[in-house]
Amino acid sequence: MSGGDVHALGIDAGSTTLKLVALDGQCSMLWHMLEPSQPRLEEQAKRMLQEASAKAGRELGEESIVATGYGRNLIPAGRRITEITCHARGAFAATGHGGTLVDIGGQDSKVIVIGQDGQVTNFVMNDKCAAGTGRFLEVAATRLDISLDELGRVALDSKGEVSISSTCTVFAESEIVSQLARGQPIEHIVRGLVRSLIRRVAALAKSAGISAPLMLSGGVAKNPAVREFLAQELSQAVELPNHPQLMGAYGAALLARADK
Amino acid sequence: MNPLGSLKYHLNVNLLGRSFLRFDRMRLTRRMRRVGFWKNEYLSPPLMTSPWLKELIASHYLKGRYANGHGPVAWVTSGGPVEFLVALGYYVLYPENHGAVCGIRRSAEDLCIMAEGHGYSRDICSYARTDFGAMLGGKTPVGRLPRPDLLLCCSNICQTVLLWYRVLAHHFKVPLILVETPFLYRDALPHQVDYVKRQLEAGVEVAEKVAGRSLTPSALGLVARRSKEASLLWAEIMTCGKQCPTPITAFDEFIHMAPIVEMRGEQFTVDYYRAMLAELKGRIEHKLGALKNEKKRILWDNLPIWYRMRRLSQLLAERGVAMVASTYTNAWGELAEMMDSSKPIESAARVYLHPILNRGTGHKLETIENMAREYQADGIILHSDRSCKPYSVGQMDQREKLAKEMNLAALLLEADHNDPRVYSDEQAENRLEAFLEVLGA
Amino acid sequence: MDMSTGKITIPGRTETIRAHKARGGKVAAVFPIHYPRALLRACGILPVEVWGPPGMDTSQGDAHLQSYTCPIVRAGLTFLLQGGLEQVDLIVVPHACDSLQGFGSILLDFIKPAQPIVPFYLPRDSGEPARRFLVAEISRVLDELCEIDCKRPSSEEIAQAIEREERADSLLAELLAQAAQLPISDRDLYRVVRSREYLPSEEFKEAAKALLERKTEKARSGIPVLLSGIVPEPAGLFDAIAAAGGRVAGDDLCCSGRRLYPKGKGDDPLVRMADGLLSGPPDSTRGSVVDARLDHLMDLVRRHQARGIIFYSMKFCEPELFYLPQLQQGLQAAGIRSVVIESELDQHFPDQAVTRIEAFLENVK
Repeated sequence: MSGGDVHALGIDAGSTTLKLVALDGQCSMLWHMLEPSQPRLEEQAKRMLQEASAKAGRELGEESIVATGYGRNLIPAGRRITEITCHARGAFAATGHGGTLVDIGGQDSKVIVIGQDGQVTNFVMNDKCAAGTGRFLEVAATRLDISLDELGRVALDSKGEVSISSTCTVFAESEIVSQLARGQPIEHIVRGLVRSLIRRVAALAKSAGISAPLMLSGGVAKNPAVREFLAQELSQAVELPNHPQLMGAYGAALLARADK
Repeated sequence: MNPLGSLKYHLNVNLLGRSFLRFDRMRLTRRMRRVGFWKNEYLSPPLMTSPWLKELIASHYLKGRYANGHGPVAWVTSGGPVEFLVALGYYVLYPENHGAVCGIRRSAEDLCIMAEGHGYSRDICSYARTDFGAMLGGKTPVGRLPRPDLLLCCSNICQTVLLWYRVLAHHFKVPLILVETPFLYRDALPHQVDYVKRQLEAGVEVAEKVAGRSLTPSALGLVARRSKEASLLWAEIMTCGKQCPTPITAFDEFIHMAPIVEMRGEQFTVDYYRAMLAELKGRIEHKLGALKNEKKRILWDNLPIWYRMRRLSQLLAERGVAMVASTYTNAWGELAEMMDSSKPIESAARVYLHPILNRGTGHKLETIENMAREYQADGIILHSDRSCKPYSVGQMDQREKLAKEMNLAALLLEADHNDPRVYSDEQAENRLEAFLEVLGA
Repeated sequence: MDMSTGKITIPGRTETIRAHKARGGKVAAVFPIHYPRALLRACGILPVEVWGPPGMDTSQGDAHLQSYTCPIVRAGLTFLLQGGLEQVDLIVVPHACDSLQGFGSILLDFIKPAQPIVPFYLPRDSGEPARRFLVAEISRVLDELCEIDCKRPSSEEIAQAIEREERADSLLAELLAQAAQLPISDRDLYRVVRSREYLPSEEFKEAAKALLERKTEKARSGIPVLLSGIVPEPAGLFDAIAAAGGRVAGDDLCCSGRRLYPKGKGDDPLVRMADGLLSGPPDSTRGSVVDARLDHLMDLVRRHQARGIIFYSMKFCEPELFYLPQLQQGLQAAGIRSVVIESELDQHFPDQAVTRIEAFLENVK
């Protein structure tokens, strides 16, 4: 990322992570910040904004800030825009084209159909059930004593797969335990878990109506198995923009820039 | 309806199909007669008429495959007054029955997912979702479903079917005959019967137009007579369950009900049930029970759990628990006496108002209580079917009363008749185990 | 209505019931959706509709109704079991869906409240056999009402009651048609609109007229959106739409827009009543043909220049859920955007729903 003057800031206050993206005058990403979300979101945001101002070398006023995400109403910003619009904006700018964006966050997942002009033409959200979100893998990783980062690689390298049928994250945990008790290898279970997550996400995508190309964003996008399995499930290539986890904050910053 | 279509039909159905299916039936029958064929420790072998049943069902779907181009096709609800359509020469397809076949063969889930991908909510009936999945191009285990020329929807099983058939009518762009049967909170009233009768008369006119022929009283009378005869035979088959030990379980009845549901009005349906009844009487005579060791007897309320029937049947058999009757299978026999084939339309107006699903929750409770007494039941499983509100609403009070007032072991089992994603083996079997303990099995 | 502060004061249900009973009249609790209002009024009975209420802890009702039953029905049963309908003399349960069907049945057979239960079946067809049936059904209801200690109204009295309701319905239609020019928030507008559910028609007419007198030249600000669904509960829905920069333009709700019955035709008052009921707008709960629903929605969008449709459905509501895919498909083909939001009759309008409305309005053109 280049050095330069900060012209706009986008903040994505998710339930799992808080992300901040700074844009320069040419709408390029200058730098970003990413932290796990803390219980006192307002204080955390204030602190991050102070740090951002320090980094920018000047006080960043509300007019240069757009907030998005689940906690957007707690953040002092010029405008608050939903993560749907922000993610669409961000993905469109990052990839240069429209399509279907699948975003798998820590506690929610969404599918946004973006027109060729960057407009949101349809969206569906899953924010009631953890089973189609990053939380599902988090619970599994904890139970299997594997780090989230390792999980994807383990799933990809596994030579076998165990089907996980529970519709509920909590019950899936019990299912993992019973599969382990039956002597199933951990990597087979991990592969099955990722498959299960992807099936749910794919169903969400289909209900939104898939318009190629497919794109992936969100913290869970970093998991290499997720991208591959999604491509398999939907029988088409999945594009991964740079900084998949920052699409919301990036889009918010772009919208802040456009405001000015 | 064209010569080439008819030729294809005759070739594939009457010539090739018939021979192949007949051969297959003989092959299966031979296999069943072989010593050592049946190895199940707890369940008696299936009925010898089973290969014939398989032939009838396969034949039915084979006819459907070549029906377009040969004759008019109608899609009908399971409680529909189908007699006039059969008499007019329609090939009749029951999406619900097709749904059940998909459920049994484990292809319903994919079809539901296909429908959901097109926007149909998971909260609507899984039969409907299965059907929409097939309608939208999903793969069906029966090969190919014929396109309807006409739809017949009778609301005596639920209100959902009307919405389902409106969707079908919009998709296929064909006429929909609606036969509304006002729900009977109490006894039927003259204006309700009159309404159904007038709708039937109007429906006949539409069906005639689409088929391009007129309905003759003799043809209708013949079909109505066969329908009544088959229903009476089916009712008698149900009563075999009163025997101790029962020669047949409700699980078997769920399978053997196919002809009375989807081939009602045909002569071969009458012939089949006559043979089946004879075989059952033979078993009764020899005290051959469906279970090798019947210890407890239970009833089933609501639709079956199609994708888990075998497992549940085995589970219960292992504990000596025989499912002797169900309100579901009974529904196709209990109105047989009411049918009057000399006045088919008038009698249909009354008969089709009275299925158990079109009557109040109090009436269903009474029906179950009578059944428990007549069949000497020790317990009952009430399947709380997420996809079937008319059957499921009221079960909580019914279960309470059956447990308290009739001293039956009564289990309310949450599941879905066709969507396996709503079902968890662990959870269901846990509840069943607790129930079996109360039952003393 | 209080003209000085501009605030609309409408008497609540309890007050209205008390006033009617003080006049010696009877009160009926009426569940959704379509029923012959005029018939009840002709018998001196005030219909007070029960659409929930929202925000109930339905554990009492859930002892009788499975969780996949309609939230309105579960809330209604809980309300009844908690004594909410104590003041009421009878309970009318129209037949619109499987949940209501089961509800009516368990009330009659198991719950057996002190009040008599009067079921009512509206045909889903509108041909001659359906008409004939409906007249007989209305007549049967009349007989039942008279048995519940009511004086049998004369033909003339029934005709007058019909006329009163028809006038009120046409004022309601005008309110909804002029909504853009009424200087009032959607939330307040719907307090007036929904008072039709319990106010005697004469009082409703006064409130509606008073509001219509305040009509302005300019249309209210806000992105116009058509609201479609069963019932706009919780009312936080209106706040969310307003906060996101929208305003309700056009009503396709079961409680209001879908019950704008035109004047019925027929010399015999019962025939006229039946005709009015059967001529109402296309409605999924009446099993209307898909194309009729689609045309109706597109017509409403055109008339009110709505930029999109919010389908606010009730969880588990089959009538709505079956139609939505084909409707949305047809709307999309016509370039009309829509979003589906499900309600569970919570007390507070959920954040997830707020986000959906915001996202929708951010992206309509």
